[in-house]
Amino acid sequence: MIKMEILAASAGSYPRIGDSVEQQRHRQAYAQLERGEITAEEFEQVQDEVTREVIEEQIRAGLNLITDGQVRWYDPISHLVRKVEGCRINGLLRYFDTNFYFRQPVVEGRLSRREPMLRGEFRFAKKVSTRPVKPVLTGPYTLARHSIDRRGAGLKTIVSEFAEIIAEEVKDLVEEGAEIIQLDEPAILKHPDDFKLFREAIETVSAERGGAQLALYTYFGDAAPLYEELLDLSVEAIGLDFTYGPKLPRVIEARGCDKDLGLGLIDGRNTRLERPEEILGKLKQILPALNSKRIYLNTSCGLGDYLPREIAFRKLQLVAEVAERAEELI
Amino acid sequence: MRDKLKRLGIELPLLPTTSVGSLPKPPHLLEARQKVAAGKMGAAELRRLEEQATREWMTTQEELGLDVLVDGEMYRGDMAAYFAENLEGFKTSGLVRSYGNRYYRKPIIAGEIRWKKPITVDWWRFAQQLTRKPVKGMITGPYTMMDWSFNEYYPSRREACLALAKALHEEVKALAAAGAKIIQIDEPALSARPEELSDFAIDAIQTVTRGIDAYFICHICYGAFEFIYPEMLRLPVDNFDLEMSNSDLDLVELFRVHPFTKDLSFGVVDVHSHAVEDVETIVKRIRKALEVLHPEQLWIDPDCGLKTRSREEAVGKLKNMVEATRRVRSELG
Repeated sequence: MIKMEILAASAGSYPRIGDSVEQQRHRQAYAQLERGEITAEEFEQVQDEVTREVIEEQIRAGLNLITDGQVRWYDPISHLVRKVEGCRINGLLRYFDTNFYFRQPVVEGRLSRREPMLRGEFRFAKKVSTRPVKPVLTGPYTLARHSIDRRGAGLKTIVSEFAEIIAEEVKDLVEEGAEIIQLDEPAILKHPDDFKLFREAIETVSAERGGAQLALYTYFGDAAPLYEELLDLSVEAIGLDFTYGPKLPRVIEARGCDKDLGLGLIDGRNTRLERPEEILGKLKQILPALNSKRIYLNTSCGLGDYLPREIAFRKLQLVAEVAERAEELI
Repeated sequence: MRDKLKRLGIELPLLPTTSVGSLPKPPHLLEARQKVAAGKMGAAELRRLEEQATREWMTTQEELGLDVLVDGEMYRGDMAAYFAENLEGFKTSGLVRSYGNRYYRKPIIAGEIRWKKPITVDWWRFAQQLTRKPVKGMITGPYTMMDWSFNEYYPSRREACLALAKALHEEVKALAAAGAKIIQIDEPALSARPEELSDFAIDAIQTVTRGIDAYFICHICYGAFEFIYPEMLRLPVDNFDLEMSNSDLDLVELFRVHPFTKDLSFGVVDVHSHAVEDVETIVKRIRKALEVLHPEQLWIDPDCGLKTRSREEAVGKLKNMVEATRRVRSELG
């Protein structure tokens, strides 16, 4: 039997501001930028500093695999789509069943990438981090599902155009040295009937991954009904949110797993801190059924838009503690 | 439901006009709230300014000719945080992002939720004494309170929601005892997880309203009605207050398929746009509503609370709304 590796990982975003005065810098700079008191370059510098800070914080919490905290992202949709030709960005809409709001793209023409989206951001994060950095992309299906189709092209076409765009982006990130790339596709859990066109889109994206690993993350829904189909995708890892799927541990236990898994056992949307034993108990149930090489232990979703900073830090500490103690279980 | 209103002693014209709840705070009141937060102004002075602002809005609503009035919520900040601050069992979180550069402190359910004393009753009484027209009692509903809070205490969303429902029932009872005949339950989050509607949200609203003799309105916004309609009609309330205008009245088509069986407060002006809709536009929207509703079922109001608009915009929208309603009323004879 190959030894399984358990890594403490980030699931994506991290809060860009906190309650202390020093941690308010991003918010103040943003307001100053809006009032025209600082330049875009000066704001960029603050974003760089805050990125450094949240990278350092993730490492201090004990994570093995981190992200840049996505502190430059306005939201998971418009941050990418603002660099896409053929659409404009509209008003605010609730993001899934969260208390967070995103700006909705309106598709008006053929979609194409105007410029690289994350390349510069990833290069910066990689340079300043002492641990491996995982870039995070929102996947083509989730982008398409959150867009208004003014062009009347139909979902299938819009998904496939976004897939081409995200594939180009994956290629860039691999060239830039990414070893693992997270692709967020929460929306597929709500629309299992679209799985065929979803699979095609993921194939388009994964064709460009070269030697890098692709980790497809789902959350904000129960993945149990789609578990079998998810395992069949051409990606190396699947991320699962256990806060919505009470049956998920049993489904995994019964079916097993030959891919790597991202286990979102710690709730990324509630301030309640789980006891390590609670999480270890669930791991004990799941781990023996797995044939995975790597297990990423992470929160159920990125934390940046859902938790206060101090709680986010403690959740990551908990991830690291459980990952360490879980070594004893294998 | 006009029979019920009549029995409660409330006579309203056909197509009663109202506003959803919040109205714009005058700039000096916003400054005063900041001063109080920074410890630079006392609570008594703030209260005086809130009362003054409430009086002004009561006068304005009378002058505009609205039929059912609101206190305008001059004393509330966030609609969920206000009730969390006044119920037992809550504490406040650190800053959480809402969108863009906007952050807020989200309530945390940290212990058993209990109603200690009336929360909104004094303000309702204050407003009602200033007018002969009915003033709505207003609470934030249990589902929205649950959905907009962290939950560290109850084992599930259901249990948190039902505990809130019990506490809010006491508030509704106190409002009714003080004389409120029309009580509105604000549930903007109600469509967040459609499956929870029949799981427990309907039970929760039942718990809030049970045994109370009042005409209940339930205000829902933030879209996605298509997922909870027509199930939503099972909620034990008399009137639904829905935003219609910012979705180009798409819901009207839904009501052609499944007829709307309760009273409906139909949002005829968009609260997110600065532009004041002209009378003709609003008249058309009301006529459109009448394609799927009996005149006896229909109330007229804005999509949602007007607090994010300027005073001029809010007054402009309400004025044209009242004028448009009068025009349609005269057509109906």
